[in-house]
Amino acid sequence: MAGLELLSDQGYRLDGRKATELRKVQARMGVFAQADGSAYIEQGNTKALAVVYGPHEMRGSRSRTLHDRAVINCQYSMATFSTAERKRRPHGDRKSTEMSLHLKQTFEAAVMTQLYPRSQIDIYVKVLQADGGNYSVCVNAATLAVIDAGIPMRDYVCACTVGFVDETPLADLCFAEESGGGSSLALALLPRGGQIALLQMDARLHQDHLEALMEAAMTACKGVSKVLDEVVRQHLQEVSVLTGE
Amino acid sequence: MESCLKDQIGAVLLPGDVFTFIKTETISLTDTSKAEKIICGPGLRRNGDDVVVCKSGVLRHKHPNLYWVDSQQRRYVPVKGESVIGIITTKSGDVFKVDVGGSEQASLSYLAFEGATKRNRPNVQVGDLVYAQFLIANKDMEPELVCIDSSGRANGLGVFGAGGLLFKVSLGLVRRLLAPQNEIVKDLEKLYPCELVVGMNGRLWARAATVQKTLIVANLLESSENMTAQQRRTLFKRVADGNL
Amino acid sequence: MRDTPLSNCERDFLLKAIEEKKRLDGRQTYDYRNIKITFGTDYGCCFVDLGKTRVMAQVSCELVTPKESRPNEGIMFFNLELSPMASPAFELGRSSELLVKLNRQLERCLRNSKCIDTESLCVVSGEKVWQIRVDVHMLNHDGNLMDATSIAAIAALSHFKRPDVGIQGDEVTVYSPEERDPIALSIYHMPICVSFSFFQQGTYLLVDPCEREERVMDGLLMIAMNKHREICSIQSSGGIMLLKEQVLRCSKIASVKVSEITDLITKALENDKKARKEGRKCGFAESMPQERITALKTYETSVEMTDLTKQASDIVESAHARAEIALSPVLPAPGMGQVGTGLQNAWGLEDEDDEDDDDDEDGDEPEVTIVAEKRGNKEKRERPVVIISDSEEEEVVILNPESS
Repeated sequence: MAGLELLSDQGYRLDGRKATELRKVQARMGVFAQADGSAYIEQGNTKALAVVYGPHEMRGSRSRTLHDRAVINCQYSMATFSTAERKRRPHGDRKSTEMSLHLKQTFEAAVMTQLYPRSQIDIYVKVLQADGGNYSVCVNAATLAVIDAGIPMRDYVCACTVGFVDETPLADLCFAEESGGGSSLALALLPRGGQIALLQMDARLHQDHLEALMEAAMTACKGVSKVLDEVVRQHLQEVSVLTGE
Repeated sequence: MESCLKDQIGAVLLPGDVFTFIKTETISLTDTSKAEKIICGPGLRRNGDDVVVCKSGVLRHKHPNLYWVDSQQRRYVPVKGESVIGIITTKSGDVFKVDVGGSEQASLSYLAFEGATKRNRPNVQVGDLVYAQFLIANKDMEPELVCIDSSGRANGLGVFGAGGLLFKVSLGLVRRLLAPQNEIVKDLEKLYPCELVVGMNGRLWARAATVQKTLIVANLLESSENMTAQQRRTLFKRVADGNL
Repeated sequence: MRDTPLSNCERDFLLKAIEEKKRLDGRQTYDYRNIKITFGTDYGCCFVDLGKTRVMAQVSCELVTPKESRPNEGIMFFNLELSPMASPAFELGRSSELLVKLNRQLERCLRNSKCIDTESLCVVSGEKVWQIRVDVHMLNHDGNLMDATSIAAIAALSHFKRPDVGIQGDEVTVYSPEERDPIALSIYHMPICVSFSFFQQGTYLLVDPCEREERVMDGLLMIAMNKHREICSIQSSGGIMLLKEQVLRCSKIASVKVSEITDLITKALENDKKARKEGRKCGFAESMPQERITALKTYETSVEMTDLTKQASDIVESAHARAEIALSPVLPAPGMGQVGTGLQNAWGLEDEDDEDDDDDEDGDEPEVTIVAEKRGNKEKRERPVVIISDSEEEEVVILNPESS
């Protein structure tokens, strides 16, 4: 990939987007009949599926029951066919465990767990096609699934991955941009209050650019939240039409 | 044998040291040999006719015939009758499970509080501190605690702890603090008014007028573990001066 | 093994104390504990003491075939072990959440930031490259394992020297250290992790939480930076809600701390190099202080004990400075300087007690010369190099001639 510029002189990226443009988001809720809540989201070429079960009785280790809150259990896995080379270990390796932990942490902050003490909420996310911004797309998918399941949340959780190339923040990175070597920042935001549920950044970035990058991430997340809002409203309308209200 | 034990009072003994009960070499015709009775305290064990030392430490003596080895230890082993500070970990049915820092959790019945009846349950939450006494504590059974004395009164035992700080020290320091006329407490009294609860399981709880003073008291006690009396006095004096 | 549960009263007290900006051991909110860095006899072995938290890192290397996607770059492998030695809460063998978190953070901090020149590790492109393996073991857990780990890892990497290789045509010979001097790794920059803990929904912030503070905290923010003010990695954990301003403020604090710590590491490395050149004995055994009752000792930190005004506390800090830098440092062992260890206690003052302070402002006349040190915590940073072997036991054990 040498020689391909991540940001051309006219300000166009590899896939023709401008620096602050998000990829096209398409989402559907209520994809599975079996689960309490499910959602499928496509953000550009990255496709992810999220399924929520709960709140239900604690399974497995009874000792981990919390007497005043629900336990959120997340599992992040990538389909073996999701990446260019077939993935040997879809889950159980360090990166997936870390992502699962991050998802858990994000949703513990957003879901109102005090309403369901001594119970468990499961969130399973699977990446079907990975083209950059895996974590962010998973968070968005999981948000829709949790809303579909009817579990009360404080606010939408929207996430976006932004990068920094040539002094410009690029919103919603794709795989080529992520592995291109610049820094990438993944941010999960609760848009209404502007609160950051999770912040993760790799690779070198000078401290002075941090603010600009965070601003760009927050704006991008707010953009994503608008799209998700649209999707939810549309879904609700469809459902209400079906139930004849 | 008592004489050889008497010689060693204040000396450092190591595990494996034996005191044999040798009959006196010369049989005195005038003195009647009296049967000597020695009470072995912690650190001394009887092995047939011998008394064997099993912990390293300094030999101490209490009149008339009680001997024990003063050893240093950090982990507590429950002993009947001792008062300890415990942390409530679970409430299950009629019994609270209390962590005392030993090998297993002790149980504390909810009826073992002053004024508690089946209808009138004590107000105890998970995570509270209790000052309780061991009713049963031997190596074969689960230890049991109670918060009342034999006559049914609380007598200082029970739930406590709001506003103070709990910290851990070694068992040796705790025993020193509980000695009747010990200097550490005397010095501390002169410093600030403060409340102190001493648990024989190595846990101390302190509370003073402000958060800062409480922290100072806690740090002073933690550090007086390994200081000589002189150093401690100088330290207390510096703290007192600094405070004026 | 089960860990002692945290009682409600401890939690309430800690939170109350934090609200009043008081920490258990008397530090200020942005202060680090004492950092002591010592190196072992082998190249690449490093021990770091952060207060009572103790961590050991060991670097080793071997020749392997490179990854197919990167045929002319060496491989870096990181491994962290949480042994039950460190804390009763850790269990051997089971990979807990904390282990994964620490491992990933260490990988991201050191590998993704490209602090080591991996291309220089290539021997034969596509066939043989050096694999550098960093193993970190926790020896004692008293809070803030991440920072100690990152310091240990980068110090060990800077200390490490790999064997020299010679290539003749197709043959690769690895020279032993006797044949040819080993070569140090080329390190571009030193990323150091700084941890910030948040309390009361993000209202209060502490740097370098100790174990009890970690138990009551809401969440943690780890920022890895290097001396050149480049952020290498940021990670928030624990489900706290942050605001942008908080993150920016933390990054500013982190840059200050990182430069101090980097200076410390460089100084420790220099001391070690000097000691080895002069042929003095070096290594972990030398760094353990002799004649101590316990190996764990803590250093004084100034506690503001009075409610006096700022003026008094300034005097306090300079007075505190005096106590520390009274004598010229002696360097019996690499990586640290000691003042009065095992030798006579030349001060006549008693003790070092743990975290109890000496803020007897009025009593001691502050050494005005040391006022150059702006804050008490500055010295603490340099202290490890000029270590005061202070521990309360000192006087008790040294039954030598002079003594106090």
